[in-house]
Amino acid sequence: MSLWVDKYRPTSLAKLDYHKEQANQLRNLVQCGDFPHLLVYGPSGAGKKTRIMCLLRELYGAGVEKLRIEHQSIVAPSKKKIEINTIASNYHLEVNPSDAGNSDRVVIQELIKTVAQSQQIQSSTQREFKVVLLTEVDRLTKDAQHALRRTMEKYMATCRLILCCNSTSKVISPIRSRCLAVRVPLPSTEEVCSVLMGVCKKEGLLLPAELARQIAEKSGRNLRKALLMCEACRVQQYPFSADQNIPETDWEVYLRETANAIINQQSPQRLLEVRARLYELLTHCIPAEIIMKGLVTELLSNCDGHLKPDVAQMAAYYEHRLQLGSKAIYHLEAFVAKFMAIYKKFMEDGLDNFMF
Amino acid sequence: MSKLSLGGKTSSGKLSSWVQPSFGDFFGGSGSNSLPSTKGLSGESKSKTQSSNAGVGGKKLRKRKGEPQTSKLEPGVFSSRRGSQENQDESWVDVHAPQTQAELAVHKKKVEDVESWLRVHLDLKSANKGGAVLLLTGPSGCGKTATVHVLAKDARCHIQEWTNPTTAEYRKDDAFMDSFDPASRFNSFHSSSQTAAFQEFLLRANKYNRLQMSGEDGAQERKIILVEEFPNQFYRQPGCLHDILRRYVRTGRCPMVFIVSDSLSGDTSSRLLFPKDIQEELSIHNISFNPIAPTSMMKVLSRIATVEASKSARISLPDKPALEQLCSGSSGDIRSAINSLQFSSFTDFSLEKSLWASKKGKSSKSAAKSTSRSKGKGRSAKSTDGLEESPAIGGKDASLFLFRALGKILYCKRESYEAGDVPKLPAHLSEHQRDKLLVDPELVIERSHMSGELFNLYLHQNYMDFFSDVEDVARASEYLSDSDFLTAEWTSRSTMLEYGSSVATRGLIHSNSARAQADQPSSVGFKPLHKPHWLHINKTYRENYLTAQSLFISFCLTPVSLVTELVPYLAMLSNPMRNQAQITFIQDVGHLSLRRFPGRLKLEALGDKDPGLLDLDSDTDEAGTQSTEPGAQTTVPADTTAVPTLPNSQEPGGDLPASQPQPTTAEALLDEKDLLIEEYDSD
Repeated sequence: MSLWVDKYRPTSLAKLDYHKEQANQLRNLVQCGDFPHLLVYGPSGAGKKTRIMCLLRELYGAGVEKLRIEHQSIVAPSKKKIEINTIASNYHLEVNPSDAGNSDRVVIQELIKTVAQSQQIQSSTQREFKVVLLTEVDRLTKDAQHALRRTMEKYMATCRLILCCNSTSKVISPIRSRCLAVRVPLPSTEEVCSVLMGVCKKEGLLLPAELARQIAEKSGRNLRKALLMCEACRVQQYPFSADQNIPETDWEVYLRETANAIINQQSPQRLLEVRARLYELLTHCIPAEIIMKGLVTELLSNCDGHLKPDVAQMAAYYEHRLQLGSKAIYHLEAFVAKFMAIYKKFMEDGLDNFMF
Repeated sequence: MSKLSLGGKTSSGKLSSWVQPSFGDFFGGSGSNSLPSTKGLSGESKSKTQSSNAGVGGKKLRKRKGEPQTSKLEPGVFSSRRGSQENQDESWVDVHAPQTQAELAVHKKKVEDVESWLRVHLDLKSANKGGAVLLLTGPSGCGKTATVHVLAKDARCHIQEWTNPTTAEYRKDDAFMDSFDPASRFNSFHSSSQTAAFQEFLLRANKYNRLQMSGEDGAQERKIILVEEFPNQFYRQPGCLHDILRRYVRTGRCPMVFIVSDSLSGDTSSRLLFPKDIQEELSIHNISFNPIAPTSMMKVLSRIATVEASKSARISLPDKPALEQLCSGSSGDIRSAINSLQFSSFTDFSLEKSLWASKKGKSSKSAAKSTSRSKGKGRSAKSTDGLEESPAIGGKDASLFLFRALGKILYCKRESYEAGDVPKLPAHLSEHQRDKLLVDPELVIERSHMSGELFNLYLHQNYMDFFSDVEDVARASEYLSDSDFLTAEWTSRSTMLEYGSSVATRGLIHSNSARAQADQPSSVGFKPLHKPHWLHINKTYRENYLTAQSLFISFCLTPVSLVTELVPYLAMLSNPMRNQAQITFIQDVGHLSLRRFPGRLKLEALGDKDPGLLDLDSDTDEAGTQSTEPGAQTTVPADTTAVPTLPNSQEPGGDLPASQPQPTTAEALLDEKDLLIEEYDSD
């Protein structure tokens, strides 16, 4: 038994539940036999990967679904050995080059070279190119992106690249201009609802429309998250009730409690506790950027309108620091301390005004 | 050192100590330790000089002090010097080696500790079978060996000391010796390794008593085994030593004393040779010595100076400021202090004179300085003085243990300005008015022998306890953030590291407005210091991140969505299609205990002698507490009623090393200045 997310993932362009017009366009693109490099972007949980896999199936047939996980080791020119996991079928290769950290340039060059240099054997029955799917392209170093640009031109004859990322802002413009950009927006709340209803129907469950709506809203229209939530609801309680408590992930609850702790008291002791909580979140693999984002969202919803611009500005400042610096805790803590200081000042001022 | 002193006692005339060559030319006395083969020659010269009392011969004459007729012949100039002759050649460290407990400069409590241990374990009738092991640690020159020697003398027992065999001993394959020397049966042992030799030594020292010599009383049969140097192999494989020790503890009969000097580099330290678990396993008693306190060192130095001055007119008694300078310059190393005292007391040494003069100028300056600033400061001012300037003679490269270095930054002592020279800040900046700082942060970092980055981590872990105002904390944390930002670019990191740590330390010091004025009472009192969590956290984070990716690769997700979406929800689902590793991981990472105060973080207290090294690998098995004296670790520190309302996650707990002063309420009330001094010279 696999997760609903995987079980009911559409496998062909025709079966996609939303953005059908885009699906048609993609099908047209493939039907003429060839297509340019693609840059698929959009927020997390919008269905980029699903769409790409559908596209590949349209292109090569069911063969792309036979996936195998390969563990490759690449020797860099500096004799450094780089280990990386790839997912491949006979027709395509999926790799997340940012796994290799600073050596991502080598991964891109070497992997694509090996794929591109091997010609397809029966080119009469198959396409004459392979597809390399690169995920998280926005996390590549600038170095690697420039290397990618060269590689794209060089091996155009034998391979096509599909790049997948959340935002194009971190992709250098030469790459953007070499690709056909495809944006996959988030599904609307209604679309999420209908997908949820459809899945539940296939599972033989009855999902109240009200609950589906709540899940869709709570998930932030992230379809993957919505489906996981729905499945968690099912585990928690069945038959569903409309006012059911929708389970959230532990770390989100924890983060909200942390934000509340910051709001409730502003003192060095409290900051010390908050630090311990931040450490706890980090050990549970929650990336520092996400902690920062979550904290800001929670804090902003809790503080006065006068403070909001300041808080947002501070958050932006320390988020930037977070990206540049090496030790996240300094910057997270500085943000919390700063917030505590201005919040405390604001509250005290407010109290004074109230008194006089 | 013990070997030196032995030589000094047996043959004061025939001395070859290290001081001698430097004085040899001048005194002309170096001939006195001439080889036996030159005896005839010297006899010749004697007869010669007797006949002709030329000025040249006068020099040679002086070495035969036992002969009355030569003394008659000596010119009057020399006669006054003769009394001090033998002592000048000998190192004062040996001449004035302490003979009684009263003479020891070591703190009384430490001496008592060692004495009581020896008393218990020397008593052969006592029930405990097996060898007892004592470990003495402390910086060099703090009187560890002297204490053992004095106490052994008092207890009338004999010290058997291990010395690493030198290569010369390996070549004892003289055929003649072989046939007669009974020890030749063990000759195979010379060619064996030092480790084997050490084992052999222990075995024999343990088994056989010393031969009873006529004239010795029988009470001397008790003995102590003293080990000050270790075969090199033990540094590479401490396990060897532990095996030998385990055997010894089972079978040994006499107490064994190990003396290990603390070193900042940490590679040859007692930590490596005697890790905590071994200390506990073998019930090794550890007594850690502190540097000699300035007061007792002053006592010893002035005593020696008086004695020597009375012996000889050539010795000029250094004045008090000069002695104080020597004291502070030696940073608690009494041996180097006495050596530099000896060196600086020979007034008629031309080269030395200039040194002395320059030093005098300096010391008088510093004396003036210290009197000017010691308004109600007393000793603390002086100790910081010593850090700032090194004397011309005998200046020891003062280094700080991490514990003290952190304390210097976090407690940030200040002194008030003179009435005249207070820098005026404009009104809108008046909140930034601070008194003069007594510590030099860059110097502290340099002396702590750590990279600035790591030092910052330690500061970051500990600074919060020393702040009382949120705004101060906000400012301080901003500086820490700045300093991390400065070192972000790896191409310029090596250059920027120093700036980064400077920004962090100075920022922390400045932003602590509770410590802005010198006369502000310190509100913090003693706080235990802890090791930074960040390295451990960061490591776990990266490991978990990679594990997540490799375990759940089949889900084809980006790592971020994997750990923030999939794993937490998988933790809620009862999905059977998972393997054991995945289930464990989900349990570990997907679930977050929603208790308010996470218990996962273990606070690891920082001992005052901890080298502060980065051992990332040992981070995981950090369960061992850091207590340096397991025996003394019975009292759980009284709860500091600082934050009674909150179940503070940073509670000191039981892992506070005994070497740190325990935070009792009484101590919390103490002035912070007194407290630091107490830490320096009490236990």
